[in-house]
Amino acid sequence: MLQWSDRSPQQWREFVNQEVCVTARDQQRFEGRVFTVDPVSASVVLVSFPEHERPSVKVILGHAVTDVQTLASGTEETERRMKSLFLPDRTQVLSKEELKSRRENLRLWLEKNRVPVTEDGDVLRVASVLTISAPYGTGDCSCANEIILARVQSLVESIPGGEHTSLS
Amino acid sequence: MKTPVSVLRLPRGPDPNSRGFDPNSPRFIALCPTTLSSSSSGRADEEEQRLRSDLRERFLRTLLSMTDKQVEFNMHEKVRVRARFGASDIDVLNFQVSDLETPLGVQKEALLRSQDVISCSFEL
Repeated sequence: MLQWSDRSPQQWREFVNQEVCVTARDQQRFEGRVFTVDPVSASVVLVSFPEHERPSVKVILGHAVTDVQTLASGTEETERRMKSLFLPDRTQVLSKEELKSRRENLRLWLEKNRVPVTEDGDVLRVASVLTISAPYGTGDCSCANEIILARVQSLVESIPGGEHTSLS
Repeated sequence: MKTPVSVLRLPRGPDPNSRGFDPNSPRFIALCPTTLSSSSSGRADEEEQRLRSDLRERFLRTLLSMTDKQVEFNMHEKVRVRARFGASDIDVLNFQVSDLETPLGVQKEALLRSQDVISCSFEL
């Protein structure tokens, strides 16, 4: 088996969501569930959920890893639980009418600021390069050009009424 | 232990004459096109790239959740130090931390080399 840092991303991906025991250079052992392996440094991120305590995260730097052994495999539930620690989840669910009024509000605000915007079903398209999808917050803009993205995001952020700032 | 000590040595800043991209960094040398195998097909490359970006995104989110948290750094010779995590650089070669607790006192700002660190742990 190749050294840890020389393995391929496919091999690293095999370990994600598995319960593993990582042996480090000075014979130290770390146990936990693999959240990810950084492809740049081969560092392993382990998450553990001890009873009655806050979840703890350990990052073992790639250069120090000598061996990784799988102890148990994970399930969709464990994956979801891990992900929820790092990824912000949308807690607010809006109704169709609310979404429609938010979309309309945003469209009018953008037009007022002389930004060319069209409605395309459920999304707003700005100058046919940027898309704003539900729920039309700052984090819902997607564009290939960072400058346009930054400009439109600051506009969305500054809408009077302050309701389009990021939800989380 | 909590009295701040004066800065002992300033770290060297980035090269002022270049745009910041270092052709001698371990990452560039590892991923430089001349060292990648030319026999792999286009589709395998795409798949590998997708895996890489997926893994990297998760790692960046880990770093993001680590910022401004009290982190314990486990270093060589069983040395353990606590500090508030600031940032890492793109190649994960250095970590910028604040209020590093050392036997000499508390360093207000410090740069830790990742080769010196074995692991770091924190709570969410």
